[in-house]
Formats: sequence, structure tokens, C-alpha cells
Amino acid sequence: MWPSRRAFLAAGGAGAALAMEAALRGRLAEARGLLVDSLLAEVTGRALDAARRAGCSYADVRVVRRRSERISARESRIDEIHLREDYGLGVRVLHGGAWGFAATARVLPQEAARVATQAVEVARAGQAALRRPVQLAANPPHVDVWQTPLSKDPFRIPLQDKADLLLAINAEAMKVPGIAFCTSHYAGLSEWKLFRSSEGADIEQSITRVGPGYRVTAVDRRSGEFETRDHDLPPMQAGWEYVVEAPLLRDARRIGEEALEKLRAPSVTPGVRDLVLHPSHLWLTIHESVGHPTELDRALGYEANFAGTSFATPDQLGRLQFAAPLVTLYADKTTPGGLATCGYDDEGVKTQRWDLVRNGLFVAYQTTREQAGWIGEQASRGTSYAQDHRSIPIQRMPNVSLAPGERELGVQDLISATEDGIYIVGHGSFSIDHQRHNFQFGGQMFYEIKKGRIVRTLRDVAYQASTLQFWRSCDLLGGPASWQLHGSLFDGKGEPGQANAVSHGCPPARFRRVNVLSTNRRRG
Amino acid sequence: MPLSDAQARQILDAALAAARRVDAGAESVVTLHGGRQGHTRFGRNEITTAGEVDEVTVTIAIQRARRRAAASTNQTDPASLRATAEAAGRMVQLAPEDPEVLPVLGPQRYAKVEAHDPAVARLSPADRSAAVAQVIALAESAGLQVAGFLGHSETVLAVATSAGLRALHRETRLSFSVTARTPDGTGSGRAAAISHALRDVDPVALGRKAVERAQRSRRPARLEPGRYTVVLEEEAVGDLLAFLTMSLDARSADEGRSFFTRAGGGNRLGERLFPEHITLRADPSNRQTPAAPFDAEGLPLAPLVIIERGVLRTLLYSRFWAQRQGRQPTGEPRVYHLLGGTATPSDLIAGVRRGVLISRLWYLRWLEPQSLLVTGLTRDGVFLIEDGQIAGPVNNFRFNDSPVNMLRNADALSRDTLRTEGTAGHLRVPALRTHDFHLSSISEAI
Repeated sequence: MWPSRRAFLAAGGAGAALAMEAALRGRLAEARGLLVDSLLAEVTGRALDAARRAGCSYADVRVVRRRSERISARESRIDEIHLREDYGLGVRVLHGGAWGFAATARVLPQEAARVATQAVEVARAGQAALRRPVQLAANPPHVDVWQTPLSKDPFRIPLQDKADLLLAINAEAMKVPGIAFCTSHYAGLSEWKLFRSSEGADIEQSITRVGPGYRVTAVDRRSGEFETRDHDLPPMQAGWEYVVEAPLLRDARRIGEEALEKLRAPSVTPGVRDLVLHPSHLWLTIHESVGHPTELDRALGYEANFAGTSFATPDQLGRLQFAAPLVTLYADKTTPGGLATCGYDDEGVKTQRWDLVRNGLFVAYQTTREQAGWIGEQASRGTSYAQDHRSIPIQRMPNVSLAPGERELGVQDLISATEDGIYIVGHGSFSIDHQRHNFQFGGQMFYEIKKGRIVRTLRDVAYQASTLQFWRSCDLLGGPASWQLHGSLFDGKGEPGQANAVSHGCPPARFRRVNVLSTNRRRG
Repeated sequence: MPLSDAQARQILDAALAAARRVDAGAESVVTLHGGRQGHTRFGRNEITTAGEVDEVTVTIAIQRARRRAAASTNQTDPASLRATAEAAGRMVQLAPEDPEVLPVLGPQRYAKVEAHDPAVARLSPADRSAAVAQVIALAESAGLQVAGFLGHSETVLAVATSAGLRALHRETRLSFSVTARTPDGTGSGRAAAISHALRDVDPVALGRKAVERAQRSRRPARLEPGRYTVVLEEEAVGDLLAFLTMSLDARSADEGRSFFTRAGGGNRLGERLFPEHITLRADPSNRQTPAAPFDAEGLPLAPLVIIERGVLRTLLYSRFWAQRQGRQPTGEPRVYHLLGGTATPSDLIAGVRRGVLISRLWYLRWLEPQSLLVTGLTRDGVFLIEDGQIAGPVNNFRFNDSPVNMLRNADALSRDTLRTEGTAGHLRVPALRTHDFHLSSISEAI
């Protein structure tokens, strides 16, 4: 008989823990919405029982409630207000060494049993083409509660406050003569989930993310040219307090003025230049050239039909000089505010921090319980994630960050130390090949550096490099005070496609002799 | 089992009634979308994951006195629909006025579209596994490794409004894609097909094509970057053309922030932008690539000729912008069709003295939206063409070029067209030959 959550706690002699857990769970009552304790117990129990009776060696059930609030404004009007709320459960089973999965929107006991049985059918159908039966790395069945630390639940903030902020931003940006358009947006996202497994895991988590931002467009009617400038504020795992404290409105004029500055700036002359990259830009380069290639399923060929494979193959582990020795890149699903931060992953593994590239050397992958054994590791790194109840958990990127340098340098110090270069702020165009060698990035603002000083703004800049050459050319890092967290709410992977929210922290950094090109084809 | 048409209509009626109870004097638009989806995924010659999901999303939009808000749910019971309508109703009261909100649409007439194949709707996990197992077996016998995806769905899209509009479209969709790689890691080939009909998607034939392509692409020679004559196969054409079809908004053009903006003001309607043999249409009732004949608000998506023999004939007009500009609203098409020419695949190659055959593009992103300049990479099979013949496989490239140049410089299009999927709707496109295409740097990826 598989243990129930309470039986597990009692067996551990954890009376006090049980009381504390009950108190923590009480705090999440609102995040659960319509889902009350007794229903959840019955639903998860029925699903796991059905899997056990069908002879599954393992099963887990996730009950998920997701909410989103999206508001957008165009110039002086609010053009979209959309609330969304989804409930559902997904059952994953291991039967005869094969995975099966099924999901439903109806969180009801009978439906839970039906879906579990359907997942078993799916697993049985897959057994014919099974080569290596799935083996899960051992994992203690945690019983715990986790939630985003926040002071203001964004879903309790009146719509008026959000609409007023967006309209105020637009009005402010459009006070700049020559600014024709401004669109602003806000997204609040809430993910509540309960994970229970046949091994006795019982984990309840509530994750809240907010993503405000805006784009200003400057137009020159005579020439028919235009330029845009996006605010650099990243989405964050946080409450409404993050939005209120952010300098969105304060920056609106500057952002508008910078859009105009870009429109009037000279085009870059292509060539080999040193680059000083601000954290609002560098995070995306880290994401593409470090985050994705160190996903183990990619490296082994499981993603070959879609996202691709990786240059960082297992035979390179502990050998490949990935970057210059001053560079350490680490994975961390515990970073405060990180979009991928949580207490446990979607197969109940406690989240952690570990190095992927240590002092320039490639030392580790991102793994799940199924994948750990593929490279002889005993435990999962805890990177399993499913975007919602209807998606199968797969290996997803944790927050992957660049450690700051030891000396307390700021971006100005990096600029001062540079003879002939370009300083890039904000993220723009991004593209990388399917083995993560050749990449090309744009940005928001580009500044020419001559003899340690910014001399002018440039336009149409992109740089193209190959991953290892680029990271090996890094020779200066900002210090701990210059480190910033940026990120994206929508990183795609898998088939059917799933979105994962992920952050990347970094200091500003300098890279030597990078190939800079011009994207100017306007008069071509 | 997916919802029947009657069940879908019943849910929409309940949603409309819920909206009416919230605010009897308001207008409302309700939509329902979803259905059954099944998939089987494979990698390294084994099935990795498979799943079944069956659910719908209902959206209730309420508008009153130019204020509008919407709420969505995946719960279709009466209490949830009521709660969703109430959420939308609360938001409407707080929403600022939007001068661009228009009255909801009344009854409309739609083209008849047949996009449902019962054979696709019936596919089971066992059917999927059997097809995938055959593809894996043929890859193994060739000594290659395959990864791929077989997905299918049966979905309903339905719209109803408080003004009496009723629309319902049911469709099936089947997709299969497979990538074969050689064990030495030097060759990769892919094949894919998407259709509403089972007959158009043959996993074993596609598996063979991917295997053959992988074998032929093994051990590529080095070719320097530069400007080349290229033959782009259908997937590559679709990938690049999507950046043009997602830029057809008339309002952006009129506002001065689009490729279709005319210097000095206005847009480029009526201008000859491309050669005579370039015609781009959008028609949801196209029998090869059918799609829902209405948008999320129930606006009919009438057949459009967007580019006619090289001349820009229409851009895309929302209801608001059409009213403002005195045009007919077009809505946003769900399917675009670049008409084919007369060439066979070998004709496209035969006319090339020295050039490159490109199977597929990857990770395309804007570089410069004004000129529709895009970057991306080649993938899964690049071949040098010399004197009208395939000379052998070559390395992958990054390209920096635009769909505009692709069409302007195109001198031959294949007769056959293929359905591909882009971020801005489906496309049906031919393969084509074009010139002066900028392969800007080498990618070491295989």
C-alpha cells in the first residue's frame, strides 16, 4: 500500500511538523480557489490508487490552478483587459518501464481515476517501442509547502491602479516631441500546484510572477523610418510591490528620448570590436549559449527534432574549456526573485544551486530523475517542469547565472578600461543555431566607446560569434554590486511546445574582438 | 470524447446567459475553443513521452458604453461560467473607456469549409505507437538515430454574440515530423507534413525521406559564406514568408511603422513590389489547407488577394481601422497561400550554375522590421549545386536576408505546394529559386 501524506508524517513522528504544515497550507487557501482539502485528498487518492491497481511502478498527480491577468494600453487607451483562470489535473505513470500521461480540466474523483487509467493505456501503447525502460533516481518523498515571498498579492490590487499606471507611462513618454506611439502592458501570473506521488511526496506550492513593460516608437514620416525602444525592466517572481517600486514611470521620458536618439543616430560600421554588455543584455546571451546547451536531454539527442542538440556532449564533461578562467556560470532554482525559483521541481525534487561552468571548465548538466542515471549520477538536479496541468513534465532550464567578479567594478569601470568598443544595453534580436555554436544578438541601445569614453549613440548593431570563442574572450567582469537579475516569462521547449519562466543574473562583462555587423538595409 | 456541436452551442448559450445576468444592458461575445489532443514523441529510436488531453477554453467578453473586458476559463459547468462572467463584468465597470470599441457583430454568413477528417479524429495511442515504431524500425535498419513527433487533434472553435451571431467550425489536424541523424554526428535530415486529413501524412514515407536526407548530408564540405543563388524547399520558404505575412497590418503601415509604409505618408497599396509571378492569397476555404472561416469575434474571413501578380492589393484591416479608412474589414487570416509556378523540384536545381539547396531554416528572428530583415540559420540538409546538379553536402549557414528579397529575386516556383506552419497562421507554399541570398556566416552545427 502506498503511504498517504498523513501516514508518512505520522511515521516520521512529526507532530509539530504536521501542525506547522497545516498552518502553512492554511495560508495558501486563497491560492487554491475552489479546491478544498477534502476534494484534493479524494482526487489525488483516486488517481494514485487507479495507477497502483493497474500495476504501475510509479505514478504522480499534479493538481494545478493557474491564473493570469493581462492588461495592455496603447497611447491614451486601454486596449485589452483579460483575466484567465484554469483548473486541472495531470497524471503521469510508469508502467512496464514506459511513461504514460493524461490530463483533464475536471478536478473530480471519478475523472481522476479515469485519467489515471487513460495514462496507463498510453504507457502500454508505448511499450512496443521501448528500448531502455525508464529508471528514476532515488528521491526522498518530501512533504512541504512553498510560496513566493511577497507583500502585495497582485491579484488583489484594483484594476484601476494597473490601468492608471499604464496610461500614465504612455502619456509621459508621448510628451517627448517626435514620439508617436507607446504601448505598455502588465501581466500577473499565479501558479498554484499540489504534487502527490506514489512514493508519498506531498508538496503544495504557490508561485506569483509579474511582468510589466512598455515600448516607445519614434517615427520620421518624411523618410518613412522608425525606431523602437523597450524598457529594460525584467519580469520577476514577486508581488505588486515590485511593479510599484520599479522606475517605469520615472524612466518614460528617457526611454522616449532614447527612441528618438536611435532614429537620428549613425549606423554602425561593421568590424571587429570589443563589447561591454550590460546585464539587461547579457542575460539573454547566457540563456541561449549556456542555459540551453547544458540541458542533458538536448545533449543526448532527445530534442533533435525540435530545439536541436548541443555541442556540450557528455564526453566533454570535466574537459571542455567552455570559457575564460574568470568565468563561473551556475544553475540555481533558489535565487530570490528568479522566475524559475521554487521549493521543489515538478517531480518533487528539492531545488538547489550547482555550477555548470566552474572557472571556465564545463562541469555539469541540468537533469531530472529519469536523466540522472544517463550520465551515472545518483540524484536529479531538480529541473523538471510542466507549464500547466495538461503538459508532461520535461527537463526545463533553471535560473542560470554568471557569478560576479571579486573586484567591485561597475559598468563605468569596464567602459573606462576599453579602447575601442561598443556598449550594449537591453535585449533585441536573438538567434542561435541548433547545436548552440553560432549566435547573433542585437540590443536596445548601442554606444560607441573610444579611449575609455562613450562618444556617441549608434544604430543597427548586431554581433555574431561562436559560443566557445565568445566566452573564452571574456576578460572583465563587474563586481557583486553590479550583478542584476533579468529574465523571460516564455522560454519554449518540447513538443508539444511548453513555456518556462526563467531568470539569469549577471554583472556587466567585457568580451574581446567580437564580429559586429550592421543591420541597416533601409536604403538598400 | 470532444464536445459535440450541440454541446459546444449549449455551453456558449449558457455563457451568453451568464453574461446577460451580470449586466442585462451590456453586449457580449463568447468564444469556445479546444478539444481532444493526443501525441507521441520519440527520440534516440524510442518513444519518450505520450499523452492525451481533452478540454476547452471559454472566453466571455463583456462591453458596455465603450468599456470592454474579457475573462476565460477551462471549466464549462454553469457555476464556473457564471463566475467567469462576473469577473468580466466587474472588470468592465472599472475599465477606462476605449474609443475604439465597436458594437458586437450580429448574424454573419460564412463560407463552407470542410476541415474535419474522422480518420484523424479516431486516432488512438496504439495507432500512434504503431506508426512511430515503423519509423524507428526503418531508421534502425539504416543504422541511424531518429527523433520526432506525431500529434493530432480534433478541435471546435465557436463564437456567439448577444446580437445573435452564431459561428462554429470543427477541424482535425495531424502532424508528423522526424529528424534522422547519422551516428557519426555529421549528417542530419528532416521531413514533416501537416494536414487536416490522414491521407496527406504518411509517417513511413516521411521517415524514409529523413533517413535518405541524413545519409546524403553526411560529412559536409566547407563552403564559404557569401551571396548565393539558393533553392529554398517549402519549409524554408514558409519560415521566411511568415515574417511578411505577420507584417501586413494596415494600421501599422498607415502609422508609418511598417515595410508597407510609403515614404512621405500613407501605405504602398497598388505598388508593384514583386515580380509578375508572385501572388499571395488568403482563403480559409482552400480545399488543400482549410481553416476556420471567421475570427475570434465572428468576423467572416473572406478570400483575399493580398499580392496579385506582384502588386500589393490589400493589407489587413481590423474592424476599427477599416471603418476609419473607409475599407472593408479583413480580419486576420488563418492561412496564406503563395501560389506555385510551373517548375518541378529538379527544374529548380537544373537552372543553377552554382548555388545552394536549403531544406529548412531555424531560429528566425527580426533584425530590422523596417526592411523585413530577418536572421536565422539553415538546418538538416544544405547542398552545393553546381552546373544544375547536386554536388554534395556543405556546412550550415547563418543568413541575414528578408522575405522581400526572397520574393523579389525569385525566378522559379515549384508547381506543388506544401502546408507549413508559421507563427502567424498556416502557410501553403511552393519551393522556389531565388538569387543574391545572403548566407552571412558559417554555422558548425549539424
